Amino acid sequence: MKGDFLMSQPVTTNPFIIMMINMTVVFIVLVSLSVLINVIHMIDPTKEPEVKDAGGGDEEVKNETAAIVSKLQQNPAPAPVIEEGISPEVIAAISAAIACYGISGQVRAVRVVNPNRSAWRQNALTGGLTNV
Amino acid sequence: MEFFNAFSVSLQAVWNDSGFSAFTVGNGIMIGVGLLLLYMAFVKEFEPLLLGPIAFGCILANFPNTGFFGDEMNVMQAIRYGINYEIFPPLIFLGIGAMTDFGPLLARPSTLMLGAAAQIGVFVALAGAMIVGFDIKEAAAIGIIGGADGPTSIYLSIKLAPHLLGAIAVAAYTYMSLVPMIQPPIMKALTSQKEREVVMTELRQVTKFERVVFPIVVTIFISLLLPPIAALLGMLMLGNLFRESGVTDRLSDTSQNALCNIVTIFLATGTGMTMNADDFLRADTLLIIFLGLVAFMGGTAGGVIFGKFMCRLSGWKVNPLIGSAGVSAVPMAARVSQIVGMKSKPGNYLLMHAMGPNVAGVIGTAVAAGTMLAMLK
Repeated sequence: MKGDFLMSQPVTTNPFIIMMINMTVVFIVLVSLSVLINVIHMIDPTKEPEVKDAGGGDEEVKNETAAIVSKLQQNPAPAPVIEEGISPEVIAAISAAIACYGISGQVRAVRVVNPNRSAWRQNALTGGLTNV
Repeated sequence: MEFFNAFSVSLQAVWNDSGFSAFTVGNGIMIGVGLLLLYMAFVKEFEPLLLGPIAFGCILANFPNTGFFGDEMNVMQAIRYGINYEIFPPLIFLGIGAMTDFGPLLARPSTLMLGAAAQIGVFVALAGAMIVGFDIKEAAAIGIIGGADGPTSIYLSIKLAPHLLGAIAVAAYTYMSLVPMIQPPIMKALTSQKEREVVMTELRQVTKFERVVFPIVVTIFISLLLPPIAALLGMLMLGNLFRESGVTDRLSDTSQNALCNIVTIFLATGTGMTMNADDFLRADTLLIIFLGLVAFMGGTAGGVIFGKFMCRLSGWKVNPLIGSAGVSAVPMAARVSQIVGMKSKPGNYLLMHAMGPNVAGVIGTAVAAGTMLAMLK
């Protein structure tokens, strides 16, 4: 019976009380959602372990980079053989592309493909290089 | 003689059946309003995707003797049923869910508070509407304009005050299209230069697990708590689940493109068709449009003021400008935060930070609607 009454009659008609009740409910619901989001984050089995000290993390990355640089300085890789006429920009672009692909190792030589070579021969050559 | 007699009777019958015989001044005014809205939509480009079909629906609704409002079934009746039986708003929410990235919200859940604070406009307008004489249900339907969420405004109006649907829908969509004009002066008036220049830290990475679990948990929680909006929130989250699951690309694509566009056409045209002269040309309409503006401004102010509060609490790590995005209007309100922030400090990118409160606003408006439905229905 009480439920029927509530369904057919608004509980109050005072605009300020309605305003306060509604704002409170909206805040409570959204705060609860915020808590739920935090719970989801906490129980997430796929999350990466958080680094406790962000500053320390930066320091770690810096140290790692410094170690790699120093190692490279001690044992520099032999410079690739670069054919004449190839600009440093082209070399930079090729190096960046190789790095993007995540290919390890060294570039031994950079040379211009013979433009007179037929497409069949060029394909065979590329295939051979890939197989290597 | 007989020929002329027959000719005259037929001509009279054609005239009597024509729209001209029943055309009223009110119809003329409303067709004028429809043409004005068409101009705003297609020439001024104010929300053309929505305002265009609304305007055309308004023009169609004001032709007498069309049978659109009779008992006989026709396509316009079917479209009106889609609105009156609350079919279209949840379907639109399906598309919105498929388009929405909840990542910024998941990365910084505290922005949900900004989405809640921006709902203050809804309740200020509700109180204002009651003070000027609307009954409580009408006042609640008018207040929801402040949520800047068209489908929710329509959904609540149909349930609480169907006779005001046309005025409320037009006010909601008009103000949504005017977000870039309404919000910046309020944002600037309520914040200092120092506050506008706050640079926010980068958001954390959100995992796929969080993205998939969030819509499921929200659906369960909100549907149990506020069943009247289970259809709206449920469809929003279903669309989002299609997007985030990674295995339902076709459904996600259909929801956010084809289906959403089709339903937008029907919903907007049907909304326009509620603007017939008898229902629309009343003093109440002007009041509703004015109260809608109050609601919108109140929501913006509420979000920014709460943003200032969060700014102080967080030790100047939250830019208060993102608070204004708490009114839904996705993603335009977030873009406004970004533009105002960039003007204050070039290079300060607030867009992703503002998307958190922006999508929180969608949930907040739906929750506000659900609360009012639970209290008043």
